[in-house]
Amino acid sequence: MDDEIYSFALKNTLNEVRNVCPEITNAFMFKEDGEVIAGDENTPEKTIVRVVDSFDSILEKAEAIGDVEGVALEGDKGRLNVFHMNNLYFVIVTSRKADMTYVNTVTRVLIPTILKLLDKICPTPLKNNPPLTEKVPITPTLRETEEPSEDLVEETALEESEEIVKPEIKSEPLLPEAPVNQLIVENLGGLLVPSDTVRIDNKILSEWEELYENKTIEEVEIKTIDGKTTRCKVKPIKDSKYEGKGIIQMPEKIQLALEIKKGELVRAKPIVE
Amino acid sequence: MVKKKRSFQEVTEVAEPLTVEEATSAHGIRACLEEIKSYDGVVGYILRNSTSAAIDLKDPTKIIDYAILSSSAIDASKELSELFNLGEVKNIVIEGKEIKVLSLTIDENKISIFLEKGADYETIVKKLYAL
Repeated sequence: MDDEIYSFALKNTLNEVRNVCPEITNAFMFKEDGEVIAGDENTPEKTIVRVVDSFDSILEKAEAIGDVEGVALEGDKGRLNVFHMNNLYFVIVTSRKADMTYVNTVTRVLIPTILKLLDKICPTPLKNNPPLTEKVPITPTLRETEEPSEDLVEETALEESEEIVKPEIKSEPLLPEAPVNQLIVENLGGLLVPSDTVRIDNKILSEWEELYENKTIEEVEIKTIDGKTTRCKVKPIKDSKYEGKGIIQMPEKIQLALEIKKGELVRAKPIVE
Repeated sequence: MVKKKRSFQEVTEVAEPLTVEEATSAHGIRACLEEIKSYDGVVGYILRNSTSAAIDLKDPTKIIDYAILSSSAIDASKELSELFNLGEVKNIVIEGKEIKVLSLTIDENKISIFLEKGADYETIVKKLYAL
């Protein structure tokens, strides 16, 4: 059983859980490191990424209470529950009228059983952290020639892995094709923050600079999933908590121009002139 | 700014004009939290609004960690509610291996109550919403 089938099995399980409990509006699961494992067909990956991002802020601070085992959020129109099982966080969103005893019985029995079964059949996917289907695309480097499509986030990792290409173009005499990195938007604010400059991982900048024979990358082109683009200055991220997380820190002005907000995905590529 | 310290209790009050209604509300909640603190399994609480904050924890070394967690929980609950159209957030409970945190907002008062893992929070929620 490979990763694709593993993820397919989980996705189908989540869909079946929703069929059994129609009051469940969304169901998905992600690893402790934030990697998305599977989600039901009703939940866009963009939404899952934003949940992981929100949840991350709680997980970071939860050491004081002995790490998170579960979260229950109650709103006047519905509920969100997070269960920690088999090193995964399983999230379900239910309507207000849902019978939580029934929902919990189904989910807390069915999901762990499937996970155990899958773990027995194929223990690799959850233990060795390889990329699975619907993995959060943190910073894949894509071919410039590929046109980003609107349904990018729906693509399977299998397709993505075919697209992922490491820049090995040093030997070429001409400037190499610009690599494109997919990043998650994070707010950037403060009195002394210039409104025309984004911040991304120093590691990505270094890779770009290395690719362009140590030319300093001062500008990037940012493209949203909806196809809106802008060009702005770029500097490395200062805040160490955002390093290595595939984050692009963006001032509000640029977010407004691109009609995006925190948690959304954008593509960034270096501009070398 | 007036700062009072009494055993494990920390109260910070910002010298800004308060309306009588706000002050009464915060006082009412504060009195209720004092009572809740005596319940079995309750290890403390944090109450804050735009003008004041009150923290009362059995273990004062956890004040900063719990305050940050409390703030993150309330912020995250709003984000998650918006994402899934859950409506106005009633409360969020974060269950840890040792402690669980109940966070809720009443008017502009952000409240977090810290309980031992096995403690019941339903009674506390009902009591607070009855205010």
